[in-house]
Amino acid sequence: MKKNKMSTSKKIDTVVTYVILIAVCFIFFFPVLWLILSSFSKSGSIYDIGGFFPKSYSFDGYHKLFTDTEMYNYPNWLKNTLFVAVGSSFLGTIMVILTAYTISRFEFKSRKMLMKSTLVLSMFPSFMGMTAVYLMMVNFGLINKLWSLILIYSAGAPMGYLVQKGYFDTISGSIYEAARIDGANNITIFRKMTLPLSKPILVYTALTSFAWPWSDFILPNLLLKKKDMWTVAVGLMHLGETEFTRFAAGSIFIAVPIVILYFALSRFLIQGVSSGAVKQ
Amino acid sequence: MNVKEKMINIKDILLHSSLPVRLSTCIMGTGQLVYRQWLSGILYIGIFAAMVYYLITSGVNDIIGFITLGTVEADPWLRIKGDDSVIMMLRGLLAFLIIIAFLILHVANIKHVLAIEKLVKSGKKIPGLRKKIDYVLDKKFYAVALALPIAGVLVFNVIPIIFMIIISFTNYGGDIVPPKLIDWIGFGNFKKILSLTKIKDTFFRILGWNVVWAVASTFLNYFGGLGLALLLNKKCVKGKAFWRAFPILAYAVPGFITLLAFKFMFSYGGPVNYYITSLGGDAVGFLDIDAGIKAKIIGLCVNAWISIPTSMLLATGILSNMNDDLYEAASIDGATKWKQFYKITLPFVIFATTPVLITTFIGNFNNFGVFYFLRGGLYMDGYFLASDTDLLINWLYNLSIDNNYYGIGAAVSLIIFIITSIFSLVVYINSAAYKKEDTFR
Repeated sequence: MKKNKMSTSKKIDTVVTYVILIAVCFIFFFPVLWLILSSFSKSGSIYDIGGFFPKSYSFDGYHKLFTDTEMYNYPNWLKNTLFVAVGSSFLGTIMVILTAYTISRFEFKSRKMLMKSTLVLSMFPSFMGMTAVYLMMVNFGLINKLWSLILIYSAGAPMGYLVQKGYFDTISGSIYEAARIDGANNITIFRKMTLPLSKPILVYTALTSFAWPWSDFILPNLLLKKKDMWTVAVGLMHLGETEFTRFAAGSIFIAVPIVILYFALSRFLIQGVSSGAVKQ
Repeated sequence: MNVKEKMINIKDILLHSSLPVRLSTCIMGTGQLVYRQWLSGILYIGIFAAMVYYLITSGVNDIIGFITLGTVEADPWLRIKGDDSVIMMLRGLLAFLIIIAFLILHVANIKHVLAIEKLVKSGKKIPGLRKKIDYVLDKKFYAVALALPIAGVLVFNVIPIIFMIIISFTNYGGDIVPPKLIDWIGFGNFKKILSLTKIKDTFFRILGWNVVWAVASTFLNYFGGLGLALLLNKKCVKGKAFWRAFPILAYAVPGFITLLAFKFMFSYGGPVNYYITSLGGDAVGFLDIDAGIKAKIIGLCVNAWISIPTSMLLATGILSNMNDDLYEAASIDGATKWKQFYKITLPFVIFATTPVLITTFIGNFNNFGVFYFLRGGLYMDGYFLASDTDLLINWLYNLSIDNNYYGIGAAVSLIIFIITSIFSLVVYINSAAYKKEDTFR
């Protein structure tokens, strides 16, 4: 009798759980679905779609995106974004890995001071530095240059070294000691031992430092004033309600690589997000 | 104390040390030459000469320019080129940094000559250059490896921040931009923010809403994520990877796309208004200038949509580290599910996530994207270049980027910095994570 009652309440519990789950997943999925369907809408303006679902479907949105480049040169935006993202990913990864490895592996006088100062620096609102960078760039005539974006992104990258440091912290110090006793110097150790061991974190760092400029809008919006210098994020911001299908198609096109990337990396995600919880 | 000790040390060196050391203390590199360290001696002398040359040609002028911020105003009619105060500020800042770098090198130079002296006195051979480079690359690997990252952070993070701190004490902005001359006004900008009626009202209204926003959105995102993680952690849920994919999808879509899409969704032509009008209602300006609370609620929900997946991932990671024994023991003792959550799960999760909670709170406090995209660029009556949903960071953007009020903007950023750093310090020191590190170990 009692067991029976338990199982009924359990059943109710299971049903309620699933109902909530389905509702939550619907909430997360629906806007994405809406955007995907809208990108295939035949009419370009949001007023003509009427409701969430387009009346007729076509590939016009995507076709126009790449052919009708008079006003909105999407291929060019894409090229700029790719250039900035690849450049910052390459340079930024080198900077972050060097920083994280060094801070994790070596004990030196100014180590604690460095870690504390990055903490204090991160307390300043990001705009503060950016306004100054903007003013400096304007005064030195470095505005409208894609490589200046790469420089800023990769120079700021070492500030987010904590995830990578956490990874290097897990590599036991004893293998380094053994190598030192065998007479290897620190450069050899870094090249022959650390780099091969840190492949996963290298991949993770390269991809996250690619994803950041790929989807950032603040810095390009600030520093790229010429229309043919825009990145995708800046370009999409300038599309109004009448260009809604173009916006949806352009968004889906740029979001798909990132989404695939995140799913491929999902085992790193939890680790990455919770790294802040790891005490130093 | 430390500085004082060092000062005594320098005095000591100057008065009681050998001639080469004294020489090096006065002119970099000369001591090294006396000890026949030709290469390093010439290098140091070269640096010294370059420094003297720099100071004479522009360094001193730059520092004077930094103090006066220009004396000659440009006049196109009289063809006077005038001083550019911003360039003078930047050059002055550069001059100070060069002087600091020089002083550091100078100390290194004295240390170097002392080290050589020690070697000579004990009759040891002084290592050659080749050996020295090897030594630096190996034993000081950390310094070599960190040189580039630190230089990058210095140039693109530290100098800009110092520059803004400097600007916050000037009247730069508004009508006063080059070619007009800028002046130092001390704490003038801060006084304006705290006393000039319109700016003061705007500041305190925005600050109030900003605090409400940060608390509400952090609360919503944090417990939303925790709830979702607990839901997915339940034993009765099959196919966890499948269910988890949906929040991760939301997490993976770039934020600006999400925000723009939601803006379209609630726009006049958007689907929500379409259904309202086709049901016979009037189109609602959800994000209009007079939207008031509607826009705020939409902002909270959209932010939750974007941020809950992150906190879900975080909570999942932490819950997987939890010890199941505790629950079993609690079940045997007859504790209800709710009590288990309240007494075991919650304290543990909060303990483990306090640092993240702080960063999330600050992230929300400075959340620029949400209201910039949903309803950026609106200026309301009763506000100075802001609207009722704007956070301090949005106001900062309106002030300094859109309207060139650099001085006031810089002062606002410093105030934000002070608020966030005091908050994090206080919360961290009072948190369980700091007070009892070992409770859950």
